[in-house]
Amino acid sequence: MTITGENIMDAKLQNANIAVLDAESHLEARNIHVWFKDRHVLSDVSLHFPTNSVTALIGPSGCGKSTFLRTLNRMHELIPGAGLAGSIYLDNEDIYAAGVDPVNIRLRVGMVFQKPNPFPTMTIKGNVLAGLRLSNRRTRDEDDLVESCLNRASIWNEVKDRLDAPAGSLSGGQQQRLCIARSLALSPEVLLMDEPCSALDPGSTRRIEETIRELSADMTVVIVTHNMQQAQRVSDQTAFFLAEEGQPGHVVEFGATDNLFSAPNDPRTEDYVNGRFG
Amino acid sequence: MNTRQVAKGDRAFFAVSTAAAFITMFLVFGVLIFLSIKSWSTFSAQGTAFVTGSTWDNTTEGGTFQIWPMLVGTVLVSILGLIIAVPASIAVAFFIEYVAPPKVSRIATSLIDLLAALPSVVIGIWGIFVLSPVAATWSQSLSGTLSFIPFFRNEFSNAEGAPFIAAWTIAVMIIPIITSVSREVMGRVDKDLISAATALGSTNFSNMRRIVIPTAKSGILGGILLGLGRALGETVAIFFVLNLVFEVNFFHILEPKGGNVASLIIAKFGEATPEELNALMAAGVVLFILTLVVNMIATSIVQRSEKRMAS
Amino acid sequence: MMENTVQLLERPAGATPWKTRSQNFRIWIAAASILPAALSYLVYLNAGLSGAAILLIVFLPLQLLGAAIAAAFTRGRRGVADSQLSVLVLFATSFVAIMLGSIVFSIISWGLKAVSPHFIYQNNVYVTPTTSLEYGGAGHALIGSLLVVGLATLIAVPLGLAVAVYLTETKGRFKGPVRFLAQSMSGLPSIVAGLFVYALFIATGTANLSGWLGSLALSLLMLPTVVRMSEEVLKLVPGDLRSAALALGAPQRRTFFQVVMPTAKAGLITAVLLGIARVVGETAPLLLTTRLMSETSINPFYGDLATLPTFIFSNLTAGFDTGRARAWAAAFLLLAVVGLIFGATRALTTQKVK
Repeated sequence: MTITGENIMDAKLQNANIAVLDAESHLEARNIHVWFKDRHVLSDVSLHFPTNSVTALIGPSGCGKSTFLRTLNRMHELIPGAGLAGSIYLDNEDIYAAGVDPVNIRLRVGMVFQKPNPFPTMTIKGNVLAGLRLSNRRTRDEDDLVESCLNRASIWNEVKDRLDAPAGSLSGGQQQRLCIARSLALSPEVLLMDEPCSALDPGSTRRIEETIRELSADMTVVIVTHNMQQAQRVSDQTAFFLAEEGQPGHVVEFGATDNLFSAPNDPRTEDYVNGRFG
Repeated sequence: MNTRQVAKGDRAFFAVSTAAAFITMFLVFGVLIFLSIKSWSTFSAQGTAFVTGSTWDNTTEGGTFQIWPMLVGTVLVSILGLIIAVPASIAVAFFIEYVAPPKVSRIATSLIDLLAALPSVVIGIWGIFVLSPVAATWSQSLSGTLSFIPFFRNEFSNAEGAPFIAAWTIAVMIIPIITSVSREVMGRVDKDLISAATALGSTNFSNMRRIVIPTAKSGILGGILLGLGRALGETVAIFFVLNLVFEVNFFHILEPKGGNVASLIIAKFGEATPEELNALMAAGVVLFILTLVVNMIATSIVQRSEKRMAS
Repeated sequence: MMENTVQLLERPAGATPWKTRSQNFRIWIAAASILPAALSYLVYLNAGLSGAAILLIVFLPLQLLGAAIAAAFTRGRRGVADSQLSVLVLFATSFVAIMLGSIVFSIISWGLKAVSPHFIYQNNVYVTPTTSLEYGGAGHALIGSLLVVGLATLIAVPLGLAVAVYLTETKGRFKGPVRFLAQSMSGLPSIVAGLFVYALFIATGTANLSGWLGSLALSLLMLPTVVRMSEEVLKLVPGDLRSAALALGAPQRRTFFQVVMPTAKAGLITAVLLGIARVVGETAPLLLTTRLMSETSINPFYGDLATLPTFIFSNLTAGFDTGRARAWAAAFLLLAVVGLIFGATRALTTQKVK
């Protein structure tokens, strides 16, 4: 059967009628296609993320894994020319349904970016509370919240004496952990991380990996990474993305991390995890 | 070619550029010092009353020349102009950078830059024939309904020639200037920060209030002060739309009683007596000092914010 | 078994699910945009208030309220602040667009009524402010403006460029103060520039009112623009290029004239054009340093000389309808000159980007 654009939209409508999904799945992507202008960059990605699991998205650069990540909290639509087909279900609700406020989705699905980006005009404490202030909410005990978030991002001990210093005074690794703490302050159900360690030294990387393991006790984590050792160290399941010459990116293989690395089904996965390309 | 020749040529090259730099540096002081010397006779004859008094009379022996009402009027019109222009400019800058589609914002940007170069005489002609009659009806609406507030009292039958109308003219002149600067500093706000805020559940409004304005505020302030400097020194446009009266008017903005130092110079220059001419130069010195202070503050703020944004 | 090829699909229509609006949302938005306007119109018909007053005290509050209610029902509390921002930004932007559009529209429509081919090439000899528009023109003023501004350019551009060289190419110790003072000069009121030249030459009896004095005053006003713009352009020339030329044994001045300047050519021309645009309509300094006449003169160094701004000024102050028409026509010419300069700078900058 040839799949045309029309069919995709039909398929989407049919999917919308299937209300009950795998009960274990907290977040699920179904038949996601992405276009930039008229270029098809991601094809038919269906992945499910069980509650409190850590999922690693791996693959060579340009395979669309970061693009996919941004569809999960509706950041994708902010890119000019972006297009999307398919559905994302968060607790069985389609986050792209008409009438869903993207802000509500982003409050539930937090995001940490590749480059640490604390707000330079705010203090360290201000950065942790930024999410609350930006969405105009208050909390009864700010100090407790700041301490617990910084603790969970394992940076409390380094900054507790200078909470009122500007965020720019921190090192790169500290800034990234501050950004994690900033996301945690909103108590997200899902945390998306887009190559959070690619700009950091090995020491900081190790500490952030520990943090990820600890966080997965009470939230679902999806992490994009270039680093296969990192994927093996932190994740429960792994998806391997690939974009071959002239083709859109797609998922070659998806499964439990141990299986995918030790006994891949697809020869391309095997080549990639053994470092033969990418 | 021997090395000595090379050095000589380069030395001349550097000498010329250094000389030009020094000429430019001393031009500012040169203008100030030279005009002060020329107007010294006025300052010594009139004393501090030159700035604080309200009489301008060239018929008596030596004359009485005092510019207080003109100074007050200059500041009043400029501040009113800012009150109108600043919110409008920031709104337009935000529209261009964060609301409009790319095509619209490109066109709007070049239009704003073009309008920033509109000659003041062109604004002046529009000001008397198009704006004044319309703004006079606004003024009458205000004085008709809100005259119990002293600001909006108008005991004259005429509404044209009032500071209110001059302020609108000035606002139209400086909106492109303030918008142009604000747009640029807003555009330089790191897009990653906006992304980060959006991912934290921020709305357009919170992005503007918590990210864009705090990051760009010193640049915007610099732009506002540049606009203020322009407003204080504006001559021809105001000359056409404002009644100059030697009577201090602090806040009756709808009454046709205004003052403006630069317009005074144009108005009196043609038939000035020799003493009066010196007094006009003294008025120029006062005006220059006023604008120089505003511009120096503006320049230092803008330069500092540029340095910070670059790092 | 997995397929080894993935099909490239054409983008289907409606691949932007975030743009689909619920019916409910559409109704609220339609109501919020139509009702305030309709209500304001009713008030306008029944109350004796001016249109602008209605816009500001009836329409704007109603529109803010309408948007707030619509946002509260579709997006909740968070949407309210957003909706207020959108309304205010759009209101202010349309207002500014109307004001600035009105300037351009008035000058073009009034100007076209009075402008004619002979207005562009004839001078004003035997013409008084009351003479019919069929006679006379501003050709002499156009020529005078070109002369005065051209001469100002000849003074300000080499000086400004040399200052920019000092700021970018040398290790001068006074860069900070020079940059600071040059920038502060951009706020020099034009009338003060005129007074300065008057005091320096005319009050001391060194020279009489004539075109070149006007040029001197204009060059003072042009200098800061030229310095700032050329400094920015020269800074954009990569340092590697300079090092490469110097490594080939070229002296600094050759490096500048043969490598840096040609690289930055388009930008430098833009700097000059922006400087010209800044002063071409300046009136106040010319009123103090030149004397308008109705004949054509091509000598900026001696005697009276007409320029467009002073032509406009004197026709306006004369207070006759035909004089006003001439002023509008000349303003139209001036606007056309500024527009041409801007068209040229845009063409140059887009070329540079390519």
